[in-house]
Amino acid sequence: MNESLAMKPRDYKSGIKPIWCPGCGHFSVLNAITKAAAACGLAKDDTVLVSGIGCSSRLPAYVDSYGFHGVHGRGLAVAQGLKVARPDLTVIALGGDGDGFSIGGNHFMHACRRNVNITYIAMDNEVYGMTKGQASPTSPEDWEGSKLTPHGPGVRPFKPAAMALASGAPWIARGYSGNPNQIARLLAEAMAFPGFSFLHVLSQCITFCPQQTDWKAIVSDFEEEPLSRADEAAALFLSEDGFKTGLLYREPRAIWPPEAAPAEDAKLVLRDLASVFQR
Amino acid sequence: MMTDTYLTFLAYSTELEQESQERYLEIAESMATHGNDEVAGFFHRMADEAGNHLAEVSLLCEGAELPPIKAWEFQWPDAEPPETTSYEALHYRMSLHDAMTLALANERAAEQFYRDYAHNSTDAEVINTANEFADEEKSHAQALELMLEDVPVVSELAREEDDPPMMPE
Ligand SMILES: Cc1ncc(C[n+]2csc(CCOP(=O)(O)OP(=O)(O)O)c2C)c(N)n1
Ligand code: SF4
Ligand SMILES: [Mg+2]
Repeated sequence: MNESLAMKPRDYKSGIKPIWCPGCGHFSVLNAITKAAAACGLAKDDTVLVSGIGCSSRLPAYVDSYGFHGVHGRGLAVAQGLKVARPDLTVIALGGDGDGFSIGGNHFMHACRRNVNITYIAMDNEVYGMTKGQASPTSPEDWEGSKLTPHGPGVRPFKPAAMALASGAPWIARGYSGNPNQIARLLAEAMAFPGFSFLHVLSQCITFCPQQTDWKAIVSDFEEEPLSRADEAAALFLSEDGFKTGLLYREPRAIWPPEAAPAEDAKLVLRDLASVFQR
Repeated sequence: MMTDTYLTFLAYSTELEQESQERYLEIAESMATHGNDEVAGFFHRMADEAGNHLAEVSLLCEGAELPPIKAWEFQWPDAEPPETTSYEALHYRMSLHDAMTLALANERAAEQFYRDYAHNSTDAEVINTANEFADEEKSHAQALELMLEDVPVVSELAREEDDPPMMPE
């Protein structure tokens, strides 16, 4: 731990260069992760980033820790399984709005409900970036940027914070890619929180949604103490514009599983699994 | 013996230059990945400049223990340190002219930051060094202004698109 305390954010970057478009908000999340890791003295060997599929989900390759670039929408399932088997690890799941709220929407709800002690970062650009710009669950109803939905998707966008709250998430925060330091601070708090922490990041897609550069003028700080009453949080999440950033809600409750699996047993299980995969 | 206020100033300067250098480098590498070699080369040069300034600051820090300020605890005029290029201003098809204009704004913001730091301090060492750094940023800005005169004004996104990011018809 002492050795890692002296590490700088750049020491947590892998040698692999991101292929994201210059200006992509996902760079900001990557920088926030390395800053939080350095500030918290995270040990690389005890940290795992788990993702699904999407531009955002490429992120684990760019961090010098353990990583798992999984199946579309299933990052949370893998991350929870890993944490239950190895409670000693710091597990961060991450991915995009398509990954987490479309194909992985069901896993998202149940992860909020289950309350395994992990952090989930949803990098929300309101679009499927990787597959060239189709509407996602968080795209505005009248967004006309995709030729698949030339008159806009025509359906109301999903509200991630409200959904997380209704499903039982005990810690809900929002960051913005124009402010990586704020994301880093929130992430440090998220990792320290005992339970499922949901960090929703407004992360611009400069290529398919250039209008998102306007977000800088729209985002505001949530200046109050985080809400702890679910009814008050529900009223906020259902009425706000979705651009309030900061720690919005915090109400710790019992984590799952009630007694985390002992690390030694878990290692045995993992060894067995490894032999299965080797066959 | 360095005063606490001077050490804090050095911590701010280190963070400012380090972030500037890393962002320039990150942008240069991603521009190169996306085939905008001209702009990539320019941002590489800016990263080198910031690196040189960082080396100067590091020399002043030798033997000193800087206060352990976390990335999010620094108080900057904006969300990020003044010389750090904002993500919103970038595009893989941006022109050299736009890239230089962006860097010029960064250098001016850094000059202003150091000037204000000097203005708001009562510590003679801080005032001297902050003004020195401000002068240095000013000279970078002037050099960029001169260079800009010779660079054709090309509107943003004028670069040709090899693989347009659009859906099939
Ligand atoms: C099972 C499956 N279905 C569909 C796809 C195609 N696909 C790849 S990425 C993606 C969406 C990515 O969007 P998002 O998660 O928002 O990430 P972004 O690229 O915007 O960061 C889709 C639908 C896939 N890879 N696998
Ligand atoms: S397409 Fe969008 S989400 Fe993907 S790397 Fe480019 S800017 Fe980022
Ligand atoms: Mg997306």
